[in-house]
Amino acid sequence: MMNRVTLRKTVISCALLAAALLFAVVFMSLLGSEPLPVRSSLCALASFGSTSCGLTSDQFDILFQIRLPRIVLAAAVGGSLATAGAGYQALLRNPLAEPYLLGISNGAAVGTMIALVFFGANEWTRPLLAFTGALLATLAVYRLARGRAGATPERLILAGVIVTTFLSSVIVFVTTLMDATRIRSFTFWLLGDLSGTSKAMLPVTIIIAIAGALTLTLNARSLNLLMLGERDAFDLGVEVGRVRVVVFLVASLLVGSSVAASGSVGYVGLVVPHLARLSLGSDNRISIPAAALGGAVFVIVADTIARTVIAPRELPVGAITALIGAPLFIYLLKRA
Amino acid sequence: MLDARDLTIAYDHRIAVADITLSLKPGEITAIIGPNGAGKSTLLKSLNSQVSPSSGSILLDGQPLERLNRRTISRRIAVVAQEAELRFPVTVLEFVLGGRFAWATNAGWGWETEHDLQIADAVLRETELSELSGRLMNELSGGERQRALMARALATEAPILLLDEPTANLDLSHQATLLALVRNRCDRKEAAALVVTHDINLAAQFADNLILMKQGRAVHTGTPEQVLQPQILQDVFEVTVLVDAHPVTGGPRVTPVHDTYRHS
Amino acid sequence: MQPSQHSRKGVQALLSRTSLKLLPACTLLLTLACASIPKTVPDGPLTRTLTDDAGRRVVMPARVDRVISLAPNLTEIVFAVGGGAQLVGRTSYCDYPPEAKSVAAVGDTMHPSLEPIIALKPQVVLISTASQLEVFTQQLQNQNIAAFVTDPHDLEGVFRSIEQVGEILGKKAQAATLVQTLRQRTYAVEQAVKQKQPVRVFYQLSGEPLYTAGRDSFTTDLMRRAGAMSVTADVPGAWPKYSSESALAAKPDAIILATGGSMGSANSTVIEALRQSPAVLQGRVYKINDDHLTRPGPRAVDGLEEMARALHPDAFK
Repeated sequence: MMNRVTLRKTVISCALLAAALLFAVVFMSLLGSEPLPVRSSLCALASFGSTSCGLTSDQFDILFQIRLPRIVLAAAVGGSLATAGAGYQALLRNPLAEPYLLGISNGAAVGTMIALVFFGANEWTRPLLAFTGALLATLAVYRLARGRAGATPERLILAGVIVTTFLSSVIVFVTTLMDATRIRSFTFWLLGDLSGTSKAMLPVTIIIAIAGALTLTLNARSLNLLMLGERDAFDLGVEVGRVRVVVFLVASLLVGSSVAASGSVGYVGLVVPHLARLSLGSDNRISIPAAALGGAVFVIVADTIARTVIAPRELPVGAITALIGAPLFIYLLKRA
Repeated sequence: MLDARDLTIAYDHRIAVADITLSLKPGEITAIIGPNGAGKSTLLKSLNSQVSPSSGSILLDGQPLERLNRRTISRRIAVVAQEAELRFPVTVLEFVLGGRFAWATNAGWGWETEHDLQIADAVLRETELSELSGRLMNELSGGERQRALMARALATEAPILLLDEPTANLDLSHQATLLALVRNRCDRKEAAALVVTHDINLAAQFADNLILMKQGRAVHTGTPEQVLQPQILQDVFEVTVLVDAHPVTGGPRVTPVHDTYRHS
Repeated sequence: MQPSQHSRKGVQALLSRTSLKLLPACTLLLTLACASIPKTVPDGPLTRTLTDDAGRRVVMPARVDRVISLAPNLTEIVFAVGGGAQLVGRTSYCDYPPEAKSVAAVGDTMHPSLEPIIALKPQVVLISTASQLEVFTQQLQNQNIAAFVTDPHDLEGVFRSIEQVGEILGKKAQAATLVQTLRQRTYAVEQAVKQKQPVRVFYQLSGEPLYTAGRDSFTTDLMRRAGAMSVTADVPGAWPKYSSESALAAKPDAIILATGGSMGSANSTVIEALRQSPAVLQGRVYKINDDHLTRPGPRAVDGLEEMARALHPDAFK
């Protein structure tokens, strides 16, 4: 077994995952409720949108206007949530910390709802208020979970239950104020939905995902120490206060932008970082970028399943991630 | 190296430490002993700037502690804790390399240098953990884990070591080993160590200076011979003690005298 | 023992022996009595049994003066058959006709409250399965309140609902008249569009996320009668969440946006994926009051007429 993680190992692993991500983007875009000719589609993708590959104009639109943006959004959302999950796990010193389970996604949802109700037309208010909501929820969980011994699994889950249930009531309250029609989108908040791709906000979501992953990776070494005890990290030279603030802000921003774009997609922040650590080690310098890339792949695949398994109807993507994630969560709880 | 003068620390509306003056010199081990609640751990935390004193001053190499940044302090002062939170799987080598953080040029993302690895190897040898370097920390026994904590502190190359009840969870054979490591460090590398401990006899064996604290105050300071006097100890610990010469080391040996409850 | 005690014991023994003999007889009588008491009304000879759309045999008083409606379409039907005075409770979404708003509200369609319902002492509660209130129905039964379930999947089902409500409220004649009028209007529309080529229509129930009308939705039936062919007519379910790709690939010639009623201004634009569809390019996007298309009540025929006129304007000169 490897004694430690090296730069070389990190670069190789990330390169492999990046390749897997590229593969996922290309091949999942061939799948959907409408069949597309494989050869022509691959030709069009490879040539970055050449119209002389043999696709009809409808097929072209399906591939480039509907599927690709959706897949890219899935990657951004998956990467964001997995990175945020890894961040919370290091910060709260607990492998079970996850934005959905801790109610942080609910906080972002409440923020987005307030944006929709009071500032409906302005799209920029949504990720902004989602970020605020996520931040407040994060603070609440952190405060509640802290005890003498740090965030033990029990305190953490308890804190998460308290925050989640409280915010769920707020969500119900807000949805009763909103139009009856908006309530139809209730499953959007609870189970996520990647079908509504706003052309304006997609670049923002991507930028936030990449910037967030980079920021947390650049603090990975500090997080390695923080993960093993706040006091120890302090003694060894980590500026605990500063790193904590950075992780809080970045993780909340990541969750906020994801939820504002696609509702709450659960378990990504739990399953993917855990798998990354299991296969590559707990060192955040490798597990955070690996989680970001792996999360992107995970949600792309989950969303492809969600939009093809009962085609032409669609399932919410959160249903698929939960089907995979919940059993894994139970298994992890038993291990902990 | 580390000088504290008239240190007073108050929190939670009570005075935890009052008017303590101490000085750590290279090559010396200072032990702080005293009953529970005497303020020993609080004093230790202030020396590491984890707790701020209400009055008094702490100078590290002549500079006020509060003016120095975290990294500078960590390069000069290392803390050996009682135990580590090990909720994530880490290998011994990774754990010990954590001690090199304060020396990283790129603290956030940087990777360990050859120099870092050499130092890690050296301290692993010093603490007899070389063979276990690839094992996971939570697979180790209590004593091995304590040695790993020690190794990490040593890896920081800090000349000042602060140890808070380092032998609390160790069985007899490991207690002496640990303090022998500290003694070794102090002798060879001119380090200074401050050990907070409950074990008076262990302190007597290894410490050059003793500070006896009660209710936040330093009641008596000096060499073990000077401090470990029956009357002084009886006043502080409120128990009758017998002090004689240790048959092997010659230093003072403290034995509390209780009423006999066993059948004779 | 004293003689008095002896006799007391004897009486007790006699009583106990008699009780024992009478016990089976009493039990039998009690069971018969209970079985004959209708579940909803204690001890009334004037009851009747109707079968609702869920196949349940519902027992209720022969004369119903107090009814609660738990769905907007049912409220509209109650008023339309002239039973407005008998309505003692409605949901907060029941906003038509305007007189309905002065009736006490007992919660919303998804989560009606049991307590206000009980407090209003209804004799019958009208439920629409669209609200998925099976569990709630059980709760009502436990309170001895008759729950009548309606479940129309097509226009005929809507007419049946009107007749059922008319029967319940003692307004059979008014109901029959209303149904006849509605049938006539329906027939007129069907005749007008009979010769026309059915228009391929996509029904957009809501935008992002995209929902449409499926096989089990009565709106699909309305569209068929209006001279349209819904491109999602075969999709399982009533209001399925639909793939944008499939909507695009369907290339509908007309799009119906359900908006302007309870929806307000929501859903008033066609989704991105359909912006290049024949419907949009030809300007055949029609906004129709969503309440006329999603509430299986008398106004459904309004919706039918509006759709038909929009899709086949030359048939109605």
